[in-house]
Amino acid sequence: MIALKAHISRPSGFTLDVDLEIKPNGITALYGPSGSGKSTILKLLAGLERGGKGDSIELTSEGTTWQNNNTFLPPEKREVGLVFQQQQLFPHLTVQGNLQFAQQRRHVNTGLDLEQINEWLDLSSLLEKKVDQLSGGEAQRVAIARVLLNGAKCILMDEPLGSIDNPSRSRILPYLDKLHKNLNIPMVYVSHSFEEITHLADYLYVLEKGRIKFEGPMIEMSSSLALNAGEGDLAATVIQCTVDNFDDEYGLTELDFEGTALFVNADNPKPGNRVRVRIPARDVSIVLQKPSDTSILNILAVDIVSFTDTQSPSVLVKLKHKQQFILARITRKSLDSLHLQPGQQVYAQIKSVALINDSVSQ
Amino acid sequence: MIDPDLISLAITLKLAAITTVILFVLGTPLAWWLARTDHVSRVLIEPLVALPIVLPPTVLGFYFLILFSPNNPIGQFWYSLTGHTLSFSFSGLVVGSVIYSLPFYVQPLQVAFESVKQEFLDAAATLGAGPLDRFFNIVAPMSRRGFVVAGTLAFAHTVGEFGIVLMIGGNIPDETRVLSIALYDHVESLQYDKAHLLAGGLLIFSFLLLFVVYYLNRRWQTDHTAAH
Repeated sequence: MIALKAHISRPSGFTLDVDLEIKPNGITALYGPSGSGKSTILKLLAGLERGGKGDSIELTSEGTTWQNNNTFLPPEKREVGLVFQQQQLFPHLTVQGNLQFAQQRRHVNTGLDLEQINEWLDLSSLLEKKVDQLSGGEAQRVAIARVLLNGAKCILMDEPLGSIDNPSRSRILPYLDKLHKNLNIPMVYVSHSFEEITHLADYLYVLEKGRIKFEGPMIEMSSSLALNAGEGDLAATVIQCTVDNFDDEYGLTELDFEGTALFVNADNPKPGNRVRVRIPARDVSIVLQKPSDTSILNILAVDIVSFTDTQSPSVLVKLKHKQQFILARITRKSLDSLHLQPGQQVYAQIKSVALINDSVSQ
Repeated sequence: MIDPDLISLAITLKLAAITTVILFVLGTPLAWWLARTDHVSRVLIEPLVALPIVLPPTVLGFYFLILFSPNNPIGQFWYSLTGHTLSFSFSGLVVGSVIYSLPFYVQPLQVAFESVKQEFLDAAATLGAGPLDRFFNIVAPMSRRGFVVAGTLAFAHTVGEFGIVLMIGGNIPDETRVLSIALYDHVESLQYDKAHLLAGGLLIFSFLLLFVVYYLNRRWQTDHTAAH
């Protein structure tokens, strides 16, 4: 486990004041707007940020000090891999040359070879290309492969999809999912996209102005009203389900969500797999009685936990189903006219459910 | 008997070649340091390196002459080491040329080094490459244009030097009489046909050298941009 305590002040007025841990498994995400200190934290972890006079930094990995006021372990000795947002592949080498560069300087033998990495990231058609001939998404895949071949013990990703246009972004996310599922080394994922975070993160730190505003496991955090209140239309909850069976006739997958069936349009995932499902708050509505004649398939019996206290036309309502939570976004008018109160039993109608990924075992 | 102008040509080429090699060894780390450091001494070192561009060569030559004299500790040290004085010797010319051509080597290389983005060095470092590994496998190949330009300018500039040679080297046949001095001699003694040969030769040589440098520069540049 990597632990970081940092207090840094810059002449520009920016201060970073954090105390955080990188979990030994899964993806730890740093989420926040630009200028919130995410990238500075990543640079500290990688050894690319030394801090100035008066700053205090205390960085340890498995009990070994990497950096404090007297010690500085240079980046080449930290055995961490870093994937940047911007161009980072060496332009004087081919794709193959870039991969060889990493392989020749491998930190530890993780047992990953080019064949395996190639299978995850689809590189075979790119190997002979010059770096300048790659698209943004291809270049990021090569950059990730380079880090994997390098045998990093921890992978840091700084907005890896930040400079990639939207269609390519949705094409590269499945590759990251695959890594998430198959790799058992810790990753730190920095992003200002809530969607990417809900997709990938296992543990979440929300940063604002150099401070940790919220932290917790992603599944719990995804139902936080405080966190979602600022997301507007993008507010969404992530829940964990188990794949039950695939209905051939209708092309739907039945999921087990705390004992209740949820139907989702998905390509035949393996029964028994734990999956992550994303439910946008705007697609959840609340009814007082269980509706019988409705086209909506997914209806859950839920308890109202709380709602946002706001004067704006819409409110977020936090609902509990057994041990998990979902959010509904409804109008304040509906909230008042239905006389909704915390503790009340209601039904949630879910219009759309999206399967995110086969998540790692938690 | 070999034509004395041919001997001058040989001395000139030898001087330029040795100077360029010494600059390659000493000037490269200096250029790298200047490109990356934010140490306060940089504000002093940078103008010192550039000084020979604006200073009349005779001024440099004058100070070298004083420095090389056996009455001076440095000149004395050299004398006790070799039994010769640095002034009026080929070695003295090499020392003078290295200083005189230093900015022509260091400045283009410094510019090339500065254009190597920090991201590439950071990426190489996290991939396990130490400082020397990063320099030889990332910085050097990415700065090949800078090396060619710097080497060519240093070489050509040394071939063309006159004032400093006259001050510290004098005009000793077989030892310090370089082409530019020989040309001056021919003009002094009104041997214009010989002067034409040397002047024309130097003109064509300099033009061809610069032509090749600019051509290579342009081609690498289009290579680079076309690929983006």
